[in-house]
Amino acid sequence: MDKLLRDKKAITVFLMPALLLFVVVLFVPICQSVYYSFCEYKGLTAPEFIGLKNYKDLLKDKSMMFALKNSLFFLIFSCVTQLVMGLFLAALLTNIKKGRNLFKNIIYLPCVLSSTALGLLWMFIFSPKLGINQALEKFGMEGPLWLMDTSGFIILPMWVIAFVALWQYVGQSMMLYMAQISGISTSLYEASYIDGCNKAKSFIHITLPLIKPMVATAMSLNAIGSLKFFDLIFNMTEGGPNHRTEVLATHLYTQGFKYNKYGYASAIGVVLIVMCLIVTGLINKFVKTENYEM
Amino acid sequence: MKKKWMAVVLSVAMAATLLAGCGGSGGADAPAADSGESASAESGGVQEITWMFWDDLNATEDLISKGYGDVIDRFNADYEGQYHVTAVTTNLEEYYPKLNALVASNETPDVFIVSPGPNLEVYVEPGVAAPLDDYLADGWKDTFTSDAVFSQMTYDGKIYAIPLNIAAACAFYNTEMFEAAGVEVPKTWDEMLDACEKLEAAGYTPITISAGTAWCLSMVAGYLCEMEGVDLAALEDGSASWEDGKVESAAAKLVELSRYFQKTAAGDTNDVATANFYNEEAAILIQGSWAIAQINGSNPDFESKCGVFQFPGVDRVIAKSDSLAMSSSTKYPEACIAFMKYFTDDTAQKYTAEIGGKIPVTSVEYDESVAPAQLSYVMDVFSGAEGTFGFYNESMPSTEAGAYFDDTMVSVFLGDMTPAEAATDMETFYADNCR
Amino acid sequence: MSDKMKSTTVKTIIYIFLVLVAVIYIAPLLWVFMVSFKTNAEIFSSPFSLPESFYIDNYTFSWTAGKLGIATLNSFIVCGITLILSMLIGSMAAFAIGRLRFKLAKPCMTFFLLGMMIPVHCVMIPLFTRFAKIGLSNSLIGLIIPYLTFSLPTTIFIMTGFFQSMPNELIESACIDGSSIYGIFFKIALPLSKTGLFVTGLMTFVANWNELLLAMVFISDDAKKTLPVSLSKFVGPYNTNYSQMFAAIIIAIIPTVIVYCIFSNQIVDGLTAGAVKG
Repeated sequence: MDKLLRDKKAITVFLMPALLLFVVVLFVPICQSVYYSFCEYKGLTAPEFIGLKNYKDLLKDKSMMFALKNSLFFLIFSCVTQLVMGLFLAALLTNIKKGRNLFKNIIYLPCVLSSTALGLLWMFIFSPKLGINQALEKFGMEGPLWLMDTSGFIILPMWVIAFVALWQYVGQSMMLYMAQISGISTSLYEASYIDGCNKAKSFIHITLPLIKPMVATAMSLNAIGSLKFFDLIFNMTEGGPNHRTEVLATHLYTQGFKYNKYGYASAIGVVLIVMCLIVTGLINKFVKTENYEM
Repeated sequence: MKKKWMAVVLSVAMAATLLAGCGGSGGADAPAADSGESASAESGGVQEITWMFWDDLNATEDLISKGYGDVIDRFNADYEGQYHVTAVTTNLEEYYPKLNALVASNETPDVFIVSPGPNLEVYVEPGVAAPLDDYLADGWKDTFTSDAVFSQMTYDGKIYAIPLNIAAACAFYNTEMFEAAGVEVPKTWDEMLDACEKLEAAGYTPITISAGTAWCLSMVAGYLCEMEGVDLAALEDGSASWEDGKVESAAAKLVELSRYFQKTAAGDTNDVATANFYNEEAAILIQGSWAIAQINGSNPDFESKCGVFQFPGVDRVIAKSDSLAMSSSTKYPEACIAFMKYFTDDTAQKYTAEIGGKIPVTSVEYDESVAPAQLSYVMDVFSGAEGTFGFYNESMPSTEAGAYFDDTMVSVFLGDMTPAEAATDMETFYADNCR
Repeated sequence: MSDKMKSTTVKTIIYIFLVLVAVIYIAPLLWVFMVSFKTNAEIFSSPFSLPESFYIDNYTFSWTAGKLGIATLNSFIVCGITLILSMLIGSMAAFAIGRLRFKLAKPCMTFFLLGMMIPVHCVMIPLFTRFAKIGLSNSLIGLIIPYLTFSLPTTIFIMTGFFQSMPNELIESACIDGSSIYGIFFKIALPLSKTGLFVTGLMTFVANWNELLLAMVFISDDAKKTLPVSLSKFVGPYNTNYSQMFAAIIIAIIPTVIVYCIFSNQIVDGLTAGAVKG
């Protein structure tokens, strides 16, 4: 049997298709991307090496600064709110029996729906004359320009989009935490009750420490997801007004495919990839301190 | 043994990665624009050519696009058995990316539509678009109203594209609202502000505009710059500076005017802003005359209430044309030229005016009574003007510079920048990128 | 007694809160569904009442003008092929890593897992230029290849776990029966990891069904667009005919909603299982 499992030809056959795809579609293009980021490359003429100019330009690019700021805002906002809301909803749902499935399924629903459709839907709900503002009008209030206001450090549209993102994806965090919580043995809780803990206390002393590894998993998912974030922004504001809601992904798209600045857009891509690696590294370092086998 | 084998696989993979990524890409990715292959194919002696366009000819509501569809049908019918053209269509937002992808893969369409100015230059520079002077010399050029129509399509003295029609940027206004507010058509800048003030006092939104679609706002900014005597060519060659005060006062005027914009101007798109006008929610719309087809198509009752005046305080009008370029790698230049001529023949140009509502580029006679009412007003504005100038964003050295100007003007409007900062910003951008 | 009362009050508060949350989730969808049957004028005059009459024209218009039919078909083709290929290629690689014996199994796994961290945006430009050159841009195959590649890391990761946890005896007995390694894979390993295949398949399908960016960049031909692209192009701030836009949104999400309603438990648990492992 050992001979069978060490069959080199079989190993090749099994591994080759995946390996080949990975090299050709992922690793070669990444290296190319890094190379392009040092080039002036407009698509119609050959790439021309210009050193660090694209990166220097990035520092001067106001839209890039908006994009960076917004992406970081998004990253922090979604990590924090998804953790808090996800955990909170998971704690509530594990404490009820009737209707648990129903609520769970309702909250999870947007996770499987297309964020394009949902983005467009919310775009209309937050548009100046429809949806929420129509409802506010019924109460004699004049709603703000949800997706157009540009005052403040983090502008209103960013909060709106961040809310929609939370709305769409909190179900996933919730489910991850629920899966972990339901894996905790009930005997632990029973023991704590005997020791005089109430529910809140046992949540803090038992549940929280035990789901820590899952926090790391859920957070990395959120973090990478929020750095990649594209669909909602593209469909709700297209980065506007005046690039104030641009994030890295939309900026990359606009620069690369609207203005055809492949080299410059590649530099944005490199920034994005570096941020992804740093953030995953940080989360794994600081959150995933101990790993309980459960 | 197996270790060795895997090591070989991985190192080969990595090497391939590095080679293809760094060394190889330079040569391999260079588009061979001169390879001479085009998308055309010969089938039974018929010369097949392709034409790329930015609207869906089957689904479009745009009357100008429909007219182009007619041109194709006429051409294919008249030259049956000799030439045949197929339209490759897309929509405006993704037109250039798609065209570029085709150029990069040596499938440049034989004839393609393009906006004049830096957009065309993108194709002139690497030799993708062919010079057309030789073909124009046979008398074709004389059918055009003047040589000036080619000015934005000429590089190094050679003409690279054929204009199809002209649209002028004008102020459209709601005559009923003007009457109710007791406002006369403004001729000067002060009268314009005065008119807006009166309209507002009468309870109307004076101006609808889109800053969500940056070029719409920038069009107004272009007029204001013209009013202040900004000279783009001088700015480009460095003999004038953006900081000489002209742009600053133009931007200040923009801020002054913006008090009268609709509340949602910051985010409204072009179409929404235009809809505000024909739904009678605002009194004035500053827009290119291509909006006529959209206005009359969406609200036919509005045609009789819609007046047109020249942007006050300036002598020239902003004009823009659609134009056709020919691929330098086409196999059948004769077929392409024959096809392009169909766009500028009398039938097509008559349609342009009478149905499309755009200004023809040739001296064709057309029936003014059937054309949209607004066209004759636009014609009055056009012929009354001392000359034309291009859209500011399309008259700059690169599409990027144009977009930068648009964004800067929107920033001024939003109050993110003072007019003086905007001027300094443009100067820095020009110093770094354009001179 | 008081304890019991306290716990019922707490329960009531929890339920009230959850019902409020559920309203935030359902109300927007319901509102859009409702107004999609109204005329444009009705949306502005009475936005929150039931539609006066069911104005089906919105749907017929969106379906034809938005080209949503062909888009749905394209999405099915792309996602279906990607799904099958990623399950096959992914579990093959996972089988090699999890079951076959070679020293580089671990490095291989790390190599594949790196792919999870890389956003597709970063490889889009080189892929686009290369595909344009070899005639793969603007074709469904050009979309399937990157989709497949980006689905592989999760598939491989999850399936490796499944194969590793498979009891040794089964494979041993198959060996004794004289099965080839391929026979073991197709006849024993794969059928025994149905749950894993379901989970990975579901994740792959949902992710690719909703993918917008790559599809938007790679496909420009109307007849080859996928659902999110057609929807995004048709609906959008450029159009002011709201009721038709709403109808298009509903058309785009209704199949997913129906499938979700029927299989919600399996879907939620499957996707969560995938994410827990991933």
